[in-house]
Amino acid sequence: MRRTHRVAVVLAFVVCGALAVMGLAALGTATEGPLSSALGWLGAATGAIEHGIRDRLAGSPRRESLRWLETYRTSVDRLRSPDITLLGAYDGNVPRTFDGVLELENRLDAPMALIQVYTAWGDKAEQQFPVGLLTAISGLGSVPVVTWEPWLSDFESARHPHLPLRDARDKHGMAAVARGDYDFYIDPWASEAARFQKPFFVRFGHEMNDPYRYPWGPQNNTKEEYIAAWRRVVDRFRAAGATNVVWVWSPHVAYEYWDLYYPGDAYVDWVATGVLNFGPIAQWSRWWTFAEIFGTKYPRLAEFGKPIMVAEFGSLAVGGDRATWYDSALRSIPRDYPATRAILFFHTRDDQTVTYQKVDWTVVGDSAVASTIRGALVSSGLACPGARACAR
Amino acid sequence: MRTGDRVLIAALTGVGIVAVLRLGDWWFRAYHVGQPVLFMLLSLAFWYSVSRIVLGWVNYAAVARPDHRPARRGRTVAIFTTSTPGEPLAMFERTLAACRRVCYPHTTYLLDDTRDPRFRELAERHGAVLLELLDVPGAKAGKINRTLASTTEEFILVLDPDHIPFPEFLDRVMGHFDDERVGFVQVPQAYYNQQRCFTAAGAAEQTYAFYGPGQMGLYGHGACVAIGANCTFRRTALESIGGHGIGLAEDLVTAIRLHAAGWKSVYVPEVVSRGLVPEDLGSFYRQQLKWARGVYEVAFTELPSLARKLHWRQRLSYLTIGTYYLFGVTTPLFLLIPYLFLWTGVQPAAMRFAEFLTVGAPVAIVGIAIYFVVQRWLCDRATERGLHWRGLMLKVACWPIFLAGTALAVMRADIPYIPTAKEAVRGRFLRLAWPQLLLIVLYLVTVARVIGVRTFGTSEGSLELSAEAVWGMIAFATLPVLASAGAIRAAWQARRPPRGAPWDDVVVMAIGGAAE
Repeated sequence: MRRTHRVAVVLAFVVCGALAVMGLAALGTATEGPLSSALGWLGAATGAIEHGIRDRLAGSPRRESLRWLETYRTSVDRLRSPDITLLGAYDGNVPRTFDGVLELENRLDAPMALIQVYTAWGDKAEQQFPVGLLTAISGLGSVPVVTWEPWLSDFESARHPHLPLRDARDKHGMAAVARGDYDFYIDPWASEAARFQKPFFVRFGHEMNDPYRYPWGPQNNTKEEYIAAWRRVVDRFRAAGATNVVWVWSPHVAYEYWDLYYPGDAYVDWVATGVLNFGPIAQWSRWWTFAEIFGTKYPRLAEFGKPIMVAEFGSLAVGGDRATWYDSALRSIPRDYPATRAILFFHTRDDQTVTYQKVDWTVVGDSAVASTIRGALVSSGLACPGARACAR
Repeated sequence: MRTGDRVLIAALTGVGIVAVLRLGDWWFRAYHVGQPVLFMLLSLAFWYSVSRIVLGWVNYAAVARPDHRPARRGRTVAIFTTSTPGEPLAMFERTLAACRRVCYPHTTYLLDDTRDPRFRELAERHGAVLLELLDVPGAKAGKINRTLASTTEEFILVLDPDHIPFPEFLDRVMGHFDDERVGFVQVPQAYYNQQRCFTAAGAAEQTYAFYGPGQMGLYGHGACVAIGANCTFRRTALESIGGHGIGLAEDLVTAIRLHAAGWKSVYVPEVVSRGLVPEDLGSFYRQQLKWARGVYEVAFTELPSLARKLHWRQRLSYLTIGTYYLFGVTTPLFLLIPYLFLWTGVQPAAMRFAEFLTVGAPVAIVGIAIYFVVQRWLCDRATERGLHWRGLMLKVACWPIFLAGTALAVMRADIPYIPTAKEAVRGRFLRLAWPQLLLIVLYLVTVARVIGVRTFGTSEGSLELSAEAVWGMIAFATLPVLASAGAIRAAWQARRPPRGAPWDDVVVMAIGGAAE
């Protein structure tokens, strides 16, 4: 063959190879197995060991500044009935990095004792027990809050022939969970949670009474089915020895009859709800104060006799004075809503889960709002929980 | 091949193929595409490597050993061996003495262009015929073709001058020519100097599997190849293809042409001669460059024109051989990936290291199992079996050589002249080992930078979440650094070659002798 022919042959092979590779990659889907989970634990351990070594070399780790939290972090009983109100946050850069949480914490000069992550049910690697995330949160000295979303249709039909086809799965899906159809997924997750040992929160199937939002809502399930599913999940965890899990029941209090979805005192450790002020950005929305969203429902929430968590806390900037919103909200909490034991900032830059447009919940870039919040946290005492000595 | 062995290999291959399919199913997922161009290159390199492993299994599945056929007397046989200027006389002393002791009646020809009268004296003393062939183009193959024209023997054994044949050599081989369709009979190359240094040991280890189960598999597929030395040809077969092939891959070219012309080949996996393997890393690299450049001729020139005349199993075998040295293209890619990630954060594939290990491990385990199972077919099992880690280290070290050979072949360029003269010993270590030393320096600098950045630079919020990826990549970068130790050791030994010539201790009477 002449030189040009050779070069042409080589090029032709490269092009064909490229097409084949891209075609095959487009066909691929997900699977996951036990060995990879073992290696996940190995990866998490690597990170923890490295973090420990670095703490000795470079010093001043965050965990050191959260030493006052240690007694809560290590005791599930104290987390079930805490005597202080904890701050926390979810940040949009998770799971890539927790830097957003730390930045928020610095700007507000208040410790984020709780760090929230969202994870869905399913076959993919990132849908298994998030040992890497939880270990990393522990390494930072915080307590993990896992919002655990039962997206039943994320399981592949081919891998789970006993399940109905994806389209048919959501209808009475909670009844199927209650029957044990999804124990294949719950049980390994539960035993890994037990293996994790350290206490953490699980907020399972949140906003179960919102008929427009999630497939585990009332459009697909009766409240009895939801309660049965909840109890099944908790029972499986208890059977697996995962007594380190603190169970957070979290309805959407804007919809009526939310209290009928309560699974029972024996199955719930905390009650929670989101308090997000969308302002006038959507037709269904207007500028609501914290008292309007949360205060009106607080008496009923408090009746359960459990610690209360504001699991998603935030206000958008459009349509009102955001600084005032945060200020009055934070000042009112210890005064008017004393059963509130946790407030989790919902801190993400491009949230499009509800409104089909990107909305920005962050406050770190808005120095006026940030300093107002800082002031409110100090004067309400929320910035100095427990034995933590406030800087000023 | 016993049925039990066949079942074992088939079962392992079956498991292995399932593991490969699972790996492929996992690899080609849309969300694994990181940097698209790099993902494509990495996928090609990776799946080329996996396909080599699978082709190896396919080859082992056909392993076969021909039954011995007694050699009846009465055929005329010539032994051709060549001498060229610069080759040491003492080596020929052993070779020609051993040729004389080969039992089956034959004539030994020394194809000589040394213009050195001592060679003629030596040939006469050992009863060999010296043919002076000056200025014949085509190097060794040219001399062979010229001599074919002036001799009449029906069969020709082409023997490398460093090889010492055992007396029973031709008796083990000639019987197979009773089948009139057999064009050539090949025996393995074995060595007597592999213990003398690291390079020799590594270079020899690289050949064990090929001359054992490798060639036996090719024989089973009807495509055992001629390897330049120790091959006995039927004169009419060589004449049917216009004589011995010429060029850097003259042996392979001859084999493929004979197969295309319809001749059969037989592989006798018995050690009936021993020769020399390169002892000096420089000579080893030169030999590898010649082979890398030459073997592509099979893929580029011979296979396209002859494929129609070959059985598909022969086609597959020759394609496998002809693309072997792409190893030199894939290795630098694999080397590059961890450094690219650790310095720039660019990732060709968005794969979790742990997951890759999970799906890759079954393929690796089956591969290692088959590697050891087929060692029962090594030619000299007692001395040849083992991990062959020296050979693997030298192969990894050879990637720049293979890459150069590939580039020269694609551009259809000749190998540039490399001086072989006695180089100064000083500076030789650096000249041979610089790619490995450079890799180690790069590795140490990278690890130091990673430790520094992660201790003082990385934010605490990202530290644990990025640990798996970073330390996984460092583990991935560590393997080739460990492998480079072999080449460094070989280059260090090359500063001071082993004392004395390898043949000094060889007593011809003590080698072989089963047929005495």
